[in-house]
Amino acid sequence: MDLDDDPGPTNAKVDIVSQELAEETPFQQLLRHWMNERHAPDILHAQEGLLGRLLDHIKKQTDDVQLLRADPDTSEDEHFRIMLVQTEIERVKFIIRSYVRTRLHKIEKYARYIVATPEMHERLTQAELDHARHYATLTETHFTRAVLQGLPDEQRSLDDQVPFLPPMLSQPDKTRAVFAHALVSCPPVHLPDGSVMEMTRGQISLTPYHVVEQLLMRGEVELV
Amino acid sequence: MSGTARQFCELATQLVTESRRSTATDTLLKYNDVLVRQIVREQRQLEALIQGAMERLVPEDGDGDGDDDGGLELQVTPDVILYQTAILRNKRCLLAYHQHRLERLKDLYWSVGGALPLLLAAPTADAAGAPGAPAGGDVRARLSPHEVDFLRAYNDALLEFRAGVLETEELDLFAPIARPPRDLHVLVRVVRDCGVIQTEVGAIDFRRGQRFLVRRADVEHLIVQGYLEEV
Repeated sequence: MDLDDDPGPTNAKVDIVSQELAEETPFQQLLRHWMNERHAPDILHAQEGLLGRLLDHIKKQTDDVQLLRADPDTSEDEHFRIMLVQTEIERVKFIIRSYVRTRLHKIEKYARYIVATPEMHERLTQAELDHARHYATLTETHFTRAVLQGLPDEQRSLDDQVPFLPPMLSQPDKTRAVFAHALVSCPPVHLPDGSVMEMTRGQISLTPYHVVEQLLMRGEVELV
Repeated sequence: MSGTARQFCELATQLVTESRRSTATDTLLKYNDVLVRQIVREQRQLEALIQGAMERLVPEDGDGDGDDDGGLELQVTPDVILYQTAILRNKRCLLAYHQHRLERLKDLYWSVGGALPLLLAAPTADAAGAPGAPAGGDVRARLSPHEVDFLRAYNDALLEFRAGVLETEELDLFAPIARPPRDLHVLVRVVRDCGVIQTEVGAIDFRRGQRFLVRRADVEHLIVQGYLEEV
């Protein structure tokens, strides 16, 4: 990675990498979003379009594979290649599934916070938002039936604001440490102690999540 | 509190200890209805105590609202604060216990691939005889009726979500996500009869004890639910 002593190759590398960034295949994009989502404590923006394109692509490939398999003229060699394609499809599906499930897990964990915070709504797809609302109602109903309805009226609230007690609405912990890998040279960011950090391209830093949150949203860093 | 020399919140601590034990042993313990009821009763007693204390505090303030001590801040005596703290603590413990159980139930639900009937099925000799089968059966006996309702509603919510987010039939949301697939095909041993299943190579009648080499995607859900076992 470290080519500082030789300016020639470094420049060449810059071009290649920036090209790579521009021409990231949908699957590479998905991988990046999947890793970000897995590492970030907060819920990131939904990638509905990307997911839709990939699912369409999978469907098309599956159909093609079916067609080729049914064709008696397909040679032995091609059958082998078909198998590779099928395996690849299964693996892409695995990533998509894991990605969707990761989001689902976070959405359920912070369902009541999401419902109460309008800024979170735009990050979710309609289906995810519906599920968050649904799930929040579900847990509230359960708590009410199992516990709260037995208590005196004064104790039935589900969001007591008591000094010195943690809030009853669990929120994403943005101070959690993450490893951020800079994809481009990033503008300086402020660290919690007031100092300024500037990440050069390729640098990997361990920082609290909120420090790199904006960089992540703009796609300038990825979490690794 | 009468008669027994029990401290406030002692029962709640027991309840939370139970949650900790459940995590430590990775098991779902039976819903402790008795303890929950006892704590709820303690809450009512505490509320009565606090009401009494508030009335003594400000005899002219008829309603004596325990929560509303904003305007009465200066007159609040330590006993009120003590009761209030106990109430809040008890309530948090109760909710934490229930929340913890919900999380465990969801884990269980996902671990059988969302097969709710399997999870809630009554214990059968068949399930007990198969070592590979998930510990369904007796799960139901450990749940409170509300928890069964919750699981049903959760199942419905997820099915709705799946219909909304993945229009295609291509993706099985409930398949395992622990390990990426390595091979297209998998050699399985049948642990429990599961009838005729449509696969890529036609219908196969899975009978206990037989082995098949089949496409993973076709039988994934059966492996998760414990009907088949990877060899």
